[in-house]
Amino acid sequence: MSKPSFFSRTRGWWRSHEAVLLVVLLAELVFFSSAGRRFGTADNFFDIARHSTEIGLLALVMTPIILTGGIDLSVGSLLGLCAVVFGKLWRDGGCSPGIAGVLTLGLGTLAGLLNGGLITGLRLPPLIVTLGTYSLFRGLAEALTHGADTFTDFPASFLFLGQETWTGLPAQAWVLMVAAVGFWLLVHRTTFGRAFCAIGWASEGARYAGIPVRARVTLAYGLAGFVSGLAAIIYTARLGQAKADAGTGYELFAITAVVLGGTSIFGGAGSIHGTLLGVAAIGVLSNGLVHIHQPREVAGMLTGFLLLLALAVSVLPQWLSSLAIRRRAAQGSQSSPPSTP
Amino acid sequence: MKSLLAFVFCAALLFNAGCSKAPEPAGGGSGKKLTVALMPKSKGNAYFVSCKQGADEAAKELGLDLLFDGPTEPDPAKQNEIIENWITLGVDVIAVACENSEGISTALRKARKKGVKVVTFDSDAAADAREFFVNQATPEGIGYTLMDEAARLTGEEGEFAIISATLTAANMNAWRKHIEARLAEKYPKLKLVATKPSDDLKDKAQSEATALLSAYPNLKLLMAICSPAVPGCAEAVKQAGKAGTVKVMGLGLPGENRRYVKEDVTQSVVLWKTVDLGYLTIHAANAVGNGVLKPGDTRYAAGRLGELEIQGSDILLGKPFIFNKANIDEFDF
Repeated sequence: MSKPSFFSRTRGWWRSHEAVLLVVLLAELVFFSSAGRRFGTADNFFDIARHSTEIGLLALVMTPIILTGGIDLSVGSLLGLCAVVFGKLWRDGGCSPGIAGVLTLGLGTLAGLLNGGLITGLRLPPLIVTLGTYSLFRGLAEALTHGADTFTDFPASFLFLGQETWTGLPAQAWVLMVAAVGFWLLVHRTTFGRAFCAIGWASEGARYAGIPVRARVTLAYGLAGFVSGLAAIIYTARLGQAKADAGTGYELFAITAVVLGGTSIFGGAGSIHGTLLGVAAIGVLSNGLVHIHQPREVAGMLTGFLLLLALAVSVLPQWLSSLAIRRRAAQGSQSSPPSTP
Repeated sequence: MKSLLAFVFCAALLFNAGCSKAPEPAGGGSGKKLTVALMPKSKGNAYFVSCKQGADEAAKELGLDLLFDGPTEPDPAKQNEIIENWITLGVDVIAVACENSEGISTALRKARKKGVKVVTFDSDAAADAREFFVNQATPEGIGYTLMDEAARLTGEEGEFAIISATLTAANMNAWRKHIEARLAEKYPKLKLVATKPSDDLKDKAQSEATALLSAYPNLKLLMAICSPAVPGCAEAVKQAGKAGTVKVMGLGLPGENRRYVKEDVTQSVVLWKTVDLGYLTIHAANAVGNGVLKPGDTRYAAGRLGELEIQGSDILLGKPFIFNKANIDEFDF
């Protein structure tokens, strides 16, 4: 008699966590567009893109790390260090912004590989290693500037990257888009990138399956370092200044976006498009609140609420279907023979 | 029905066009309703909370929409983000206390390019990033007020000493220059016996003050010119049992000195009225937004504060305010 439940019968993309988040994002957009006079303007979406780029980049690169079951708490501090080094190379070292940028990316990569090397080489937990480098990188940035030195007056050609538009979009939005496509292809369409998921699912199993686990994990952290450097350059161009406190707290925003995007904090499951939706949901929320004249601290509160809600809603179908199965099993054992759906 | 709608639509359009093209009425306070956005360095700071009280008062008086927002944590990028959001939001005037002058100037210049007027208060941005700076106190005003108050407390004679932050800090030295100029000019019987640094630390100020008290037994007054040094000096005088005999005064926040003022250890605390600073900022923002206040003006009448002086592009709040036992309870920052 009993019908298979609605949730257990339907299988489709729209039942996924990402779909739930997409609905949340659309709801945000509809709500803020109707409530805020200037929310729906192109200018405003440019603002959102500009303000989300650095966090977006960090969240993108955080995804493969969390997929392997790791975490990187040092990205925000590394952003600060890279910004300061970039400023120093340009102002005191006499490098052009281009050369300084390349060197900064190199430094970022090395710092990331240091994380990766310590984690895989010494088999230390990522949380501990990156907690250490979190302090180390920020401390270095402060030491380099004595906490007070600020680098400014960058040439307009460099500031273009952070403040102007290029072929219709903010210049840094293109960087974010290229990074997003790149990471999506890497994680979802290459055997190389699928290793991240496999490692997070079962590290030993991945090793027996022939995946060079340590090399892949080291690479993930190296990549995080590289992208932190890139985010530092964009941050500097956007603000027109580099200071030791650049990117304070960004690691937590990035992790929040990744987890909101449906990536399991234990590793093994998640997606790049989910992360992008997470970044967008947070970015739109904090921008939209300004448009309906709500104070900024509400954004933090609502982000937390959103995170918990999204997690709850995404496990709801599973929970309901398991409930249904249990009930059916209970009914089945009492009276009717099991039906075949 | 259709024609009626068309008529209403046209009328609305005309009305709109008429509104936006109407010339600004001359004279202050009667311009169009403005939206002014006010940003402190950080929102939780009691200093800025009391600025906001004055800002609210002025906004009510002038009938303008006041937005108040700022970073809750010290992140220089946050101030810029809020400014950019405000530009998109289409506010008329932005008034901001800059955490980091260079960093925020980028965003403020962008605002000006888009036709948003910019006023700074408390701490300035680059001069080309704003129209006016509401300056709460000039070095001369601070120096003279401190010296005059010291003279009043000592009866214009005897020995006194200064505790500074560091001997190299630019603002401290500017104040000291004016203190010493005033001393030489007006108070020949007062003698400055020592100037000691405290590294902007309360403990260091306290130990320096203790040393001064034993080195100069005839000392009549300690003047602390950085805020942690005022309670530091007070603690030293109190522990030496010289409360009342050696007077304590200085530049500081009423809140952290309230206890000593009530115990008669500290006689006077010099600062500006933060409520008035907020009040003036909103008045100036409104006047700039209405085109009443223009670059080159030398005087500005700001509501209950009356006629104020403008030096260059600095609107001066006027002489600092002296907090003492009689009035300190009226201020909660």
